[in-house]
Amino acid sequence: MLATFQMVQDRLNDTPHLLRLGRLFSETVLVEIDGQEIYLSFEQGHLAEVTPGPSRKTPWRFALRTDAAALAEFWLARPQPGFHDIFGLVKIGRGRIDGDILCLVKNLRFFKEVMALPRAMQGRVA
Amino acid sequence: MSFEPITGRYLTVTVAGTAHRIYLEEAGAGRPVLCLHTAGADTRQWRHLMNDAAVTDTNRLIAFDMPWHGKSLPPEGWETQEYLLTTEAYIETVLAVAAALGLDRPVLAGCSMGGRIALQLAALHAPRFSGFIAIEASDFQPAWYDIDWFHRPDAHGGEMGAALVSANISPFAPPTERWNTLWMFMQSGPGVFRGDLSFYTKDDSLVARLGQIDTAQTPVHLLVGAYDLTCTPEDARRTAAAIPGASIAVMDELGHFPMSEHPEGFGPHFLDALARMPMPRAAAA
Repeated sequence: MLATFQMVQDRLNDTPHLLRLGRLFSETVLVEIDGQEIYLSFEQGHLAEVTPGPSRKTPWRFALRTDAAALAEFWLARPQPGFHDIFGLVKIGRGRIDGDILCLVKNLRFFKEVMALPRAMQGRVA
Repeated sequence: MSFEPITGRYLTVTVAGTAHRIYLEEAGAGRPVLCLHTAGADTRQWRHLMNDAAVTDTNRLIAFDMPWHGKSLPPEGWETQEYLLTTEAYIETVLAVAAALGLDRPVLAGCSMGGRIALQLAALHAPRFSGFIAIEASDFQPAWYDIDWFHRPDAHGGEMGAALVSANISPFAPPTERWNTLWMFMQSGPGVFRGDLSFYTKDDSLVARLGQIDTAQTPVHLLVGAYDLTCTPEDARRTAAAIPGASIAVMDELGHFPMSEHPEGFGPHFLDALARMPMPRAAAA
């Protein structure tokens, strides 16, 4: 899973419209998958660092918690209903979002599209 | 050059003693079908159906922008008002537009909050209509979010609203129409989406009224997309079950804005819904 987010890091650097949308976003986001923590540190829209946890010393602004199977479905080009959006994961009980939700909502298009980048990567491989 | 068959005009109606300049579009001829857009959007959501000859050959589709939406201006003095849509004002607006146009018992087709008000009208003013197509419509949806997020000085409410509602669009939607659908939300005026959501997420008066809808007089057909997170198939089924005689269809590859996000996928479902509505004698002749 860490490798996937490292690929997201590279892919984001090749996605100019997301760098433009995220130019004011410099926050750390916790993604927790099956209890495994990954800290995504954004700097002006770039994913500056992808750091594996666990860590009790890393402050984060908001967190998305889910499981690997749900994320695998989320990353399909056409996921099943509920798996097609991060709020869908929450709605069907396969995800949880904590922390500063308003910060997430202000940057929602950017964060959603960053989280969905593996879909495009799968499409490119296919 | 070839114009689309859609024409647009303006009219002024009075709602609760206040004049509203309303923009409306129409296309087709035959049975009148009055179409209501979703929260935070406008008439453009219906443009695909208005350009679909399979629909307009026998139906006159009319859609209007609610006050504050699209090209309908907010009322005089809006600059000091807080826009909060109410069930009463919404009902009065729909009835006023139908009356101003001289529509004889049109079919009422509404999506999301438009579907909600269509069911309210089915309960309270059924004789004014010939049938109801309630799309992505449910009895009540409390908000899981803070509606105040969408009207604040430090962020763009339209962009945030669009990002939120994108959760309701199916991955089967063609990308062009996905983004056209979201553009309308991005364009909505300050506080308009919030004001619509106030109606949609706080007024539960429909719940107690569903049982009084008489589908023997005016049929009710619900349509719901499997990818709709706001009004899920479960929500729509619960709502349909509370209306004696109502029918429902679940659209497997569609979301919350079916006529806008995926017109090709929605067309057959809408035609099926229209076929379930009675054809008035004058229009059938």
